[in-house]
This record gives sequence, structure tokens and C-alpha cells, in this order.
Amino acid sequence: MNIFFDQTINGLVIGNIYALMAVGLALIFGTANLINFAHGSVYMAGAYVGWTCVTYFGFPLFLTFLVVMLFCALLGMLIERVGLRPLQNSARIAPLLATIGISFILDQLAQIIFSPQPLALPPLISTKRFSLGATSIGVLDILIASVSLISGALLYVFLRYTRMGWAIRATAQDRDAAQQMGVDVNRVNQVTFAIASALGGLSGMLVAMYFNVLTPTMGFQAGLKGFAAGLIGGLGNVPGAIIGSLLLGLIESYGVALLGSSYRNLFAFVILLVVLVLKPNGIFSKGRQLPPEPMTGTFIASSKPVQIPRSVLIGVSVLAFLLPIISNNYWLSVFTTALLYGILALSLTLVAGTAGLMSIGHAGLLAIGGYTSALLSLRLGLPFALALLLAACVTAILGMLLVMPAFRLRGHYVSIATIGIGEIVSLTILNWESLTGGPVGLMNIPPPSLFGFEFYSNRSLYWLSLVLLLGLALLQWQLVRSHIGRTLRAIREDEVAAQAYGINLNRYKGIAFAASGFIAGIAGVILTHSYTYINNETFNNTISVLALTMVILGGRGNIIGSILGAGLLIVIPELLRDVLGESFIVYRMLLYGLLLVLFVRWRPQGLLGTV
Amino acid sequence: MLRLQNIDTFYGPAQVHFGINLYVNPGEIVCLLGGNASGKSTTMKVILGLVKPKAGHVFFNDSEITGLPTHQIIKRGVGSVPEARRIFPGMTVQENILMGAYSRSDHKNVAEDFERVLSFFPRLRERLNQKGGTLSGGEQQMLAMARALMVRPKLICMDEPTMGLSPLWVDRVLELIHTINKSEGITIFMVEQSANQALQIAHRGYVIQNGHIVIEGTASDLLNSPRIQEAYLGATI
Repeated sequence: MNIFFDQTINGLVIGNIYALMAVGLALIFGTANLINFAHGSVYMAGAYVGWTCVTYFGFPLFLTFLVVMLFCALLGMLIERVGLRPLQNSARIAPLLATIGISFILDQLAQIIFSPQPLALPPLISTKRFSLGATSIGVLDILIASVSLISGALLYVFLRYTRMGWAIRATAQDRDAAQQMGVDVNRVNQVTFAIASALGGLSGMLVAMYFNVLTPTMGFQAGLKGFAAGLIGGLGNVPGAIIGSLLLGLIESYGVALLGSSYRNLFAFVILLVVLVLKPNGIFSKGRQLPPEPMTGTFIASSKPVQIPRSVLIGVSVLAFLLPIISNNYWLSVFTTALLYGILALSLTLVAGTAGLMSIGHAGLLAIGGYTSALLSLRLGLPFALALLLAACVTAILGMLLVMPAFRLRGHYVSIATIGIGEIVSLTILNWESLTGGPVGLMNIPPPSLFGFEFYSNRSLYWLSLVLLLGLALLQWQLVRSHIGRTLRAIREDEVAAQAYGINLNRYKGIAFAASGFIAGIAGVILTHSYTYINNETFNNTISVLALTMVILGGRGNIIGSILGAGLLIVIPELLRDVLGESFIVYRMLLYGLLLVLFVRWRPQGLLGTV
Repeated sequence: MLRLQNIDTFYGPAQVHFGINLYVNPGEIVCLLGGNASGKSTTMKVILGLVKPKAGHVFFNDSEITGLPTHQIIKRGVGSVPEARRIFPGMTVQENILMGAYSRSDHKNVAEDFERVLSFFPRLRERLNQKGGTLSGGEQQMLAMARALMVRPKLICMDEPTMGLSPLWVDRVLELIHTINKSEGITIFMVEQSANQALQIAHRGYVIQNGHIVIEGTASDLLNSPRIQEAYLGATI
């Protein structure tokens, strides 16, 4: 019984922290109609600013909180200015992509400034605990609860009784109408971002104090949990976000007590998916109807794709085959990586481009493919070719089945669902130790081999990857120009219209994800067998975002574009490393984030144009 | 009071307006008539600063407002009754009406205006604490008009105020527009599709077709013009 009470207190405290996140996300979703993916990074920034205040400047706690909130408010305003305002007349997905890019940049900056190693805070407040009948409550618990209660109360008063509060509420309900009442909606968005980010940063600082650890990547999952909490109560609904956060905190706490702490994050993402599928408007809503925005307008910009003459393509392919003759081993392995990422980008461009379903959990597919074939080779001793084929099929089936519940969703919601699925895959790998080895991973995975020939040398691995890439690209080209491709594009442009012509949406989305899973599975298999070692972090969410950047860079749905995107994003950083020296490599991720933001803003159709 | 001069507007590559010229004198009710996709709602958006014209000028009270952000145009005394009413569904009727006073800086007079506006719409007084979204279509139209009046406007722009209303409510709403114009001296520029009824209360009218103003004249001229009767008012000759 004691444990139950302890966990209840824990759950409520953590729930309070989530509430600070979720309320901010709800405010932003309300006024800007945007799921702000950079919110998690603001939370991370809050923790690091707090850490700096405490350890470098020795600020007292109260002042630290103030500095954290001020810094994050400014950061939020900057995000609004860069990621939202210039993109207001673009498709709804554009600001979402921009915030993903910004989040990438912020996380990388934190890594560069503070190192990727976890940091700890010195003890800031008394660790005294007050006994409370069967359980006890610490000073920190009380502090967290009071901070969030006070913030909640202030926010309520602000929204209810101030002019700006009214403007925020009116904008959330009807942006156009608010504008016609004389509300400056840009100003409203700016203020909303400032408030939301101040709360988010505060939340990050409190979490850092609670768990006494800060990492540059802490924001990603926290942001996703904020969505989960907000989604439980209905996105954009502030009281709902608070209730959802408390519920999530409690479920997590009880769950961790029952199953162990490595399961902590799994609950949030499973709940995220369940709520998305069953009650996308939150558990308090009636029915399952989604509001019309921001699900529509998934597609960025239609453009004339750049036509590349067939002779050039054939020429480049032939040159690619001859490359190993002149290239050294180092560059050959770089190009091999580029080819394999090319396969991944092919796979993603099929769903994100052709079908218009902006998947951001694609690394999960790599992981499924890689683990399946590694296990088939290691445990069952299957020959590589068979393992490859089976793994690709398993990825196709699992990829389709996992995303199937999310088929009804569109636009932003697809993105959240696929991120959630990606995280669930990675957390399942972490926790299913008997099968996957968990964090220890799988070792001694045999290199790819065919009919007794082992693709061990860089050269042979390169040729294998090249053949697979070209073969899959040709297959996908056939698929995209067939009636299936046409139908997928019709669904992308207008789901309702497509349905009105008798198209079975689920069947075609299923085909898209199955084909995409098959292709990504192959990439995962080759990567795994060439690494010979994988664990739960090999295929992380950074790879998903990288793949997305490749697809945007090349032009969504554009097959050659996706390969070009992959090539550029893998090769350019290596060239820069050659020129600028080894130290450049830490800036590589920063470059990716920057490219994503710049392309969404200035060339949404990508280099070669969307198809 | 309001003047549009040689307005050209584009949506992407598609041209919506081809040199639109129109004016509204103080105290008038002026009607802009036209069918679907004729460019009439866009005209409203240009006046309110929601769409920026590619060429041409908009003047309000002799000062140019072309390209100003919407909130600054509203602040100069332009009330708007948006297309499809667009009240704030989750705010109470009272909050909705007070939202209309958002752009004003004379907070002292707001309470007084609130009472006066309610005297035009007794029905809203009964529902002050109800959420806007629970009102009927006609009541929402009244609410949208009450909200626009709270701006203390010199000019109210109305985008299809009778759209989607029952015949009974259409008459009521037009009568209210007439009353507001007469007793408050507020100039009204409205876009309408149901021309016959709108012209009953208007002083003058314009007909817009494919982005060109094709006919202009006094309301009675328009009502009596056989060409209009045939083309826009549904009469067969």
C-alpha cells in the first residue's frame, strides 16, 4: 500500500511537470494551429540555462527560474519569427517541418556547447521529506507542485481577464474573425510562443532537478510526451492538457513500479497511439471526428520536376559502377553509406512524397529490418539472401500493421503517430532483452554473402549497395507511374475526392507503407550486416529526421531527388571535413537542421521538384 | 468615405480583379452584387487588408490604407461582419460582443456602447452568458453585427450577411442593417448574392462579374434595369 501512495505522489509531481509542457503546446496549437516540434528543445534549453545559472553563476533558485523563463520566452519568440511567421501562407506542414529543423539545430547546439555527456545539478534545495500518513513528500515535490499550480493560476487569470488573453482565446477559436476584430494575430502568436516556451523551459529545469540529469537529447521524448498528454485531453484544450498530463504522470508512475524504469517512456507513446486512433480529439470529446485543420494541405508545393535526360542517368550509373577503381577505401565506405541512405530516402519519399503521409519514424523500419535479419542469421543460421528477403517482408508487414491504425489520420497527426511508432519500436528493442539483447545489442552479425561470396571488402559492399539501390529505384519508378502511384497522388491531393471516386484509402495507404517498409527493410539489413553490431540506439530518431531532410532536399516524391538528397547530405559533410578538418564533424547535424529550415522556407519543392 | 482605385488582385497566377473602381459616400448603404467566383468576397478582403492587391489604391477617409495590416485598418474605424458570420463559438455572447471593442482605446465608453448595442438586439441580451456556438444562424448574424458595432465604426463591411438564413431572418437582418445605417449614421458596404432584397435597403449598387465592375448605379436604377433583372436577379423576360 505504501508503494501505491508513493507512486501516486510521484505520478502527480511528474504529471505537474508534463502539464507545464502540455499547456504550452496546447496554447500554440490553439493560436497557431501548429504542433510545435521545437517545444521539446525549448524544454531542454531551459534545463541547460538553469544548469548554467546554478553552476557557473551560482544564482539562487528563484533567480534561476526567472532567467530560465526569460531566456526561453525569447527563444520561443525567435522560433515563432523563423519557423512560423514566414510560412503562414505555405501549406500547413511547412511550419511543422521548420520546427523539426529548429529542434534539430537547438539539440545540436546544446551538444556542441555542453558536450553530449549527461550533466548533473548540485543539490539546490533541502532533501527533507515530510511524512504524510502512509507516505512522505519532499520539498522538491512541493516546489514542483506549487510552481505549476501558480503558473496555471496565473495563466488562467491572464487568459480570462487581460486584453491579450482575450485576443489569444479569440485567435484560437477563429483566427480570421479575430483579425477582423482588430487583433494583430502575429503579435498574438509571438506572445503565445513566449508564454508557452517560458513554461516549457521551466518544466525542463524542474525535470532536471527531479531526475538530477540533463542531456542534450532530453527534449525529444519530453516533447512527444507533452503531445501525448495534450492529446489525452484534446489538443488545444488547456484544462484538458492539465488533466491529461496528470493522468499520464500517474500511469507512468504505476507502470514503472510494476515493470521497471526502462518502460517509462513506452507508456506515453502507447497512450499517444491509442488516443490518436480511438479519440483523436481527446478523451473528453464525443465521437471520433477530426477537426478539418490542420489535417489538410499535406502537400507543400507542386512544381515542375526537373527532367534529367535518360542518357545522363545511365552515364552516372555507369560511372558509379566504375568508381571503386579510382576511389580509396575511405571514400568508398562514405559512398556506400550514401547509397544505403539513398535506399532509405527512396522508401521515405514514397510515403512522404507520393502518398503525402509525412512519416517521421522511418528509422523504426530500418531497425525492424536490421534486427530481423540479424536474428535470423545469428539464431537460425539462415543464409544471408534468405534472411534479407524475409527481413524485408517482415518489415513490410510490420511497417504496414503498425501504421495501419493511423491511416485515418492526416497531416500533422500522421507525423506524430509515426514518431510515436518509431519510438515504440526503439523502446521495444530496448526492453525485449531476451530477443534483442537490449542495450547490449547483437554482436558478430555475419557480413552480407551470396552463394558463398562474402561482401566483406568495401568494394564489394559498395557494388552490392549500388545494385540494390538501382534495382529498387527502378521498381519504385514502375510503381509510381502505375495506377497505384496515380491513386496515391490522388489521395495525397484530396482524400475526400479520392474516396468519392471509390478509392479504398486504407488499401492504398497500406500498399504505400508495405512497399516503403520493404525498401527500408533492405536498407536496414545491409546497414546492419555491414556494421556487424547493432543495439537499440543504432537506428535512432536522428536518422528519421535525416531521411526526411534528404527527401525534402531532393523534392518530395522525386525518386532521383531522394537519391541525390541522400548523396549530398552524406558526401558534403565528409568533403567539408576534408577541407575544414576533423572538428567539423560536430557541426554536421547542425548543417542538416539548417538545410531543412532553409529549404522549407526558400525552396519547398526541393532541388529537383516534387512529383 | 471609401474609395477603391484601379485594383488588380491575384491569387498566385490567377487574376481576380481587373482594375476595380468603386466608392462609398458617407451615410450610404452600398451593395456589391455578383455571382459565385466573381471576385466580390475578395473585394471585401482587399478593403480589410486580408489580401494585398498587386496594383491600385484603397482610400478610407481620404487616407490610403492599401497594404496596411488588418488590425490597423480596423482601428481606423472599420467594422467587419465576416462571411459566414465567424463568431467565436467557445466564447459567451457577452465576450463575443466585447471582443468587438478590442481595437478601441477608450475603455470608459465601452460599457455604455455595450448597452446601446444590446438595445438594437434585445434577443442577444437574453443570451448573454450562452456560448456563441449555441446560437441559431440568425442570432449569430445579429451577434456578428453587434460585435462589429462595438468597434464604433464609421464604416461596416458586411460579407453576405443574409447567407444561409431563412426568409424570415433575411428580412429581419436587412431591416436591422437599415436601422443601423439610419439611426447611427454608419456607412455600410455590403457584398450580397441575393440582390433583389439587398437593393431594397441600399442606396447604390455595383455589379461585379469575372473581376470587372460591369454595372453601377442607384439601387432603383439597378432594380429597374432589365439587364440586371435578367442576369443577376433571376427574372425572366
